[in-house]
Amino acid sequence: MVANASTAARANRGRGSVAYRRAIPYLLSLPALLVTIGVLIPFVTAVVYSLQRYNLAFPQGRAYIWFDNYLQLAMSADFWHTVAVTLIYTLATVGVEMVLGLAVALLLQKRTVINDVMSVALVLPLMVAPAIASLMWKLMTNTQFGIMNYLLTVVGIQHFGWATDPNTAMFTVVLVDVWVFTPFFSILLLAGLRGLPSGPFEAAELDGVPRSFVFFRVTLPMLMPYILTAALFRMFDSIQQFDIPYAMTQGGPGDALMVFQVRAYLEAFTYTNLGKSAAILMVLWAITYFLSQVMIKRWLAMREKAHGAA
Amino acid sequence: MSIRSLLRALGLLAVGLFFLFPLFWVLMMSFMTNADILRSPPSLIFEPTVSNYTSLLSGSLASQVGTLNVDYVQNLMNSFILAAGSVVLSLLLAVPAAYAFARFRFRGGENMAFTILSFKFAPPLLVLIPLLGYFRQIGLTDSYIGLIWVYQLITLPLVLWIVRGYFEDISEDVEYAYRLDGHSWWETFTRIALPLARPGIASAGLLAFIFAWNNFIFALVLGSSRVQPVTVGALNFVTASGIQYGQIAAALVLSILPTLAVALYAQRFLVQGLSLGAVKG
Amino acid sequence: MSYLQISNLSKSLGRAEVIRGLDLAMDHGEFLVVFGPSGCGKTTLLRLIAGVIKADGGEVAIAGESMAEVEPEHRGVAMAFQSFALYPHFSAFENIASPLRADGLAEREVKQRVQEVAGMLRITNVLDHMPKELSNGQKQRTSLARSLIRRPRVLLLDDPLRNVDAKLRYEMRIELPEVLRQFETTVLYVTQDFKEAMALGDRVAVMLDGAIRQVDRPANIYRRPADLDVARLFGDPPMNLIPTRPQRHNGGGITVRLGESVLDAPGCPERLLDRECVVGIRPEDVHFLDSREGDCLPVRLEAVMPLNVRTAMLVTAPGALELTSSAWDIREARDEENDTAVRIDLNGAVYFDPDSGQRVQ
Repeated sequence: MVANASTAARANRGRGSVAYRRAIPYLLSLPALLVTIGVLIPFVTAVVYSLQRYNLAFPQGRAYIWFDNYLQLAMSADFWHTVAVTLIYTLATVGVEMVLGLAVALLLQKRTVINDVMSVALVLPLMVAPAIASLMWKLMTNTQFGIMNYLLTVVGIQHFGWATDPNTAMFTVVLVDVWVFTPFFSILLLAGLRGLPSGPFEAAELDGVPRSFVFFRVTLPMLMPYILTAALFRMFDSIQQFDIPYAMTQGGPGDALMVFQVRAYLEAFTYTNLGKSAAILMVLWAITYFLSQVMIKRWLAMREKAHGAA
Repeated sequence: MSIRSLLRALGLLAVGLFFLFPLFWVLMMSFMTNADILRSPPSLIFEPTVSNYTSLLSGSLASQVGTLNVDYVQNLMNSFILAAGSVVLSLLLAVPAAYAFARFRFRGGENMAFTILSFKFAPPLLVLIPLLGYFRQIGLTDSYIGLIWVYQLITLPLVLWIVRGYFEDISEDVEYAYRLDGHSWWETFTRIALPLARPGIASAGLLAFIFAWNNFIFALVLGSSRVQPVTVGALNFVTASGIQYGQIAAALVLSILPTLAVALYAQRFLVQGLSLGAVKG
Repeated sequence: MSYLQISNLSKSLGRAEVIRGLDLAMDHGEFLVVFGPSGCGKTTLLRLIAGVIKADGGEVAIAGESMAEVEPEHRGVAMAFQSFALYPHFSAFENIASPLRADGLAEREVKQRVQEVAGMLRITNVLDHMPKELSNGQKQRTSLARSLIRRPRVLLLDDPLRNVDAKLRYEMRIELPEVLRQFETTVLYVTQDFKEAMALGDRVAVMLDGAIRQVDRPANIYRRPADLDVARLFGDPPMNLIPTRPQRHNGGGITVRLGESVLDAPGCPERLLDRECVVGIRPEDVHFLDSREGDCLPVRLEAVMPLNVRTAMLVTAPGALELTSSAWDIREARDEENDTAVRIDLNGAVYFDPDSGQRVQ
C-alpha cells in the first residue's frame, strides 16, 4: 500500500479552482482600494472648483474662469506671503528637528537604565495631538500668567509676546512643532544608530581615531539614509501643517502664520471663496506630489537594498 | 567624572526638561484654582483641587460670568468611537490587502499599493472641502460613519504600510509547508500568516489609533458638534469665554491621557512599528 | 508512463531564467537524487513540482495526470525544507499532525499516527516541545515526520542534511533511506554534496544552470560523465582534465601526449584522431609511485592533501603538466620530493569535445 487513500482522494478535489485562485489578490485588496478611491471624486471636484469663480456668498456668479484663479494668486502679494511663511516654517522645523533629533539619539545611544527610561519618556510629546500641543503651549506662553514668560523674566527678558506678537509668532509655532516632532527623528535615528555594524567603530577605536572624525566620516554617512527619509517625511507634514498654527492663532496675528492650508481654510470658510481656496490647495498639492515622487523613489531604493540583502 | 560625561548628563537633563516639562506643568495647572494660576510669581506649592475635573466631567462649569454647559465627556466618547472605529475598519480592510500585496504577484498590484499609499501625501483640505459639500447632500455630516470612512485616508495607508512589511518577513517556506500539508490559502492566511504577523498588526493598530485620536482637521471640517472629538472640542473650549484656565488645563490633560497611556503600555510595539515602517516599508 | 514526469519545464524569476527546458522522469517508488551546485535551480524545481509556484512553460505530471490545474494542497506531494519550515507557534506534535488535521481525522487516530511516525524518527520524547526548543537534528526529523505522515505520493527533500551537524549528518545518511523505505514513497532528494549523491540514490540527476545534464546510476556518472561540467562536479578530488590531440602510433594503436610524454590510449574513440580534445583521467588512475623504477612518468610532488582515508597529491611533470593523484593510504605531508613518479592508466579515461564539452563515445 503506497499512497494513502486520503491523498489520492485529496488529489481529485479542487478542480477548476485556478480561476478563483487568480481572483484572490483582487478580492483581498479591492475593498481597501475602493475606500481610498472614494477620495478621487472630491479631488476632481476640487480641481473643478479651482477653475471656477465660485463664492458661496454669490452662487449665481459661479462660472468657469479657467486659470484666472491661479493667475490672480500669482499676482497676489498675500499668496507669495503664504509661500514665504510656509517655506520658513518648513525649513525651520525640519532643520531644527533634524539636528536636535540626532543630538538626542546620540545622547541616548548607550544602553543604560537612565537612557532606556528616557527613550520611553521622550516619545511622549510625539503622542500628543499637534493641535492639543499647540493649546498647551498657548497656555504656557500666555502673557499674563504663562510659566514661560515667568521663566524669561528670570533671565531678564521682559515682554516677550510669543504668539501675540507678529514678530515672534513664527518662533512660537516652530517651537511647538519641534517639541512634538523631534522625537520622530530621535526614535528613527536611535534605531538606525543601534543597528549600525560595530566593526568600523571598533576598528577606529583600536586605531586611535579621534571621535569627531569618527562621527563625521563614519557615523553620519551611514546614518544618512535614515536622516533623509525622516527629513522627507517631516517636510511633507510641515508644508501642509494646519493643526499647530490654526490652534494657536488661526493664522494671526495679522497673517504672520498664514501657511498654505490655514490660508485655504480661511478662504473657504471665512471668505466663502471656494474657487480661490481650491486653487491654493492645488498649488500645494502640486508641490507635495513632486516631493512624494522623490520620496517614493528613495523609499523604493531602500526597500531594494533591505530586501536584496535578505 | 569627566567633562564628557558631565556634558552628557547636562545635555540629557536639558533635553528631558524641554520635552517633559510642558506635560508636567499642564498637569500641575489642571489641579490649580484660577487664583493659583494667576498668581505671580507662579509657585509649585499650592493647594491642589480636583474641582476642574469634576466640573468638566459633570458638564457644567461655574465661573464669574455664570454657568456654562459643556459636554466634554461627549467629546471624549466621540474620540474613542472615531479612533476605535477607524482602526477596526482599517484592520479589516488593510490586513488582507497587505497580505495580497506581500504574497501575490498580480498585475497592477504594485500600482494599487502605490495608489493607496500615496493618498497619505495629499493635502487633506483639498479633499475635505468638496467632501463637505457631498456630506451635506448625503446627510453624513452628523454621523460617525462619515468621519470613520474619511479617517481611513490616514489609518488605511499606515496599517497597510506597516503590516505588509511584517508579512514579507515571514518565510515563504513556512506557508508553502502549510499548503502542502493540505490546507487552502485561506487557512494558511488565518492560521499561519496572521498569528506570525501579530506583533506587526498590533503595532499598526496602536499607531493608527493614536493618529486617529490626534486628528484635528478632518473633524474640524466635517464633524458636527455632536460628533466632534476632543481635539476640536478642546479648541472650542479654549476660545470660549468665561472658562477658567485650570479647567482648560484639565481638558487638555484628559485629551492626551489615552494616547499617552497607550504609548507607555505598548512603547516597544510603537517604536518597532514606526522604525520598521519607515525603513522597510 | 513514468510516475513523475516533468517535460520541458521553464521558469524565470525576474530577469533570470532559472529553469530552462528541464526534463525528468521518475518511476514509482524510486529514490532519485538531484545533484547540483548552489544556484542551479534545485529549490525552484522542487517548488514547481510541489505547485507552490507556477511554471512559465512545460508540464509536471504525477501518475499520468497533469498538475497544471491542481493546487499544491491537492497534489499529494510533500516537501521537507532545508530551513525546516516548522510552524513556530505550534508544538512539534502539532507540526507533525498538521497534514492529518487538514484531512479532518479523529483525535485518537491523529495521536496514534503521530506517535508512530515520531517513533520511527526517534523524536517521541520532544513532541510537546516548541520548535525553538529543538536542536537542528530534532527539527529536521520533525520536518521529515510532518512530510511522511500522510504517505505522500511524491516526497521532495530539499538538502535536508545541510543544516545538520556533521556527526548527525553521517548517521542520518544511513538512517534516512531505511526510514523512507518503510514508507514506499517516490522520493526526490536534492543535494549539493556529491558524496551524498553517490551514497543515497538509485539514480542521480546532475543539474546545472537550470537543466538536467545527465541521469544515471551514480557509478556510471562517475565513470562516464556526460560533459565537462559534470566531470568537474562529480568527483573529489576532481577529475584531471587535460587538452590533448590523439595520434596514431606506428604500431597501430592510438596514443595521446600528456606534457612531454606519449602514452597509450586504448579507449580513445577513433573519431578523435588528430583532433583537439580533452582527456579526463580520474586521480585514482594516476598511480603514485615512490620511486622512479619501471614503466613510469617522472614527476615532482608539489603538495599533499590528506582527505580522510585517502590522500590527494598534486604533481607536476615535464611539459607543464599538472596532475592530481589519489592514493588509498594515508601519506604524510612531506616537503616536495623530486624523486617521485606516477603511472597513468588510461583504460578508464574519457574523452570530451573541447567546444561542446560533451563526452565523445
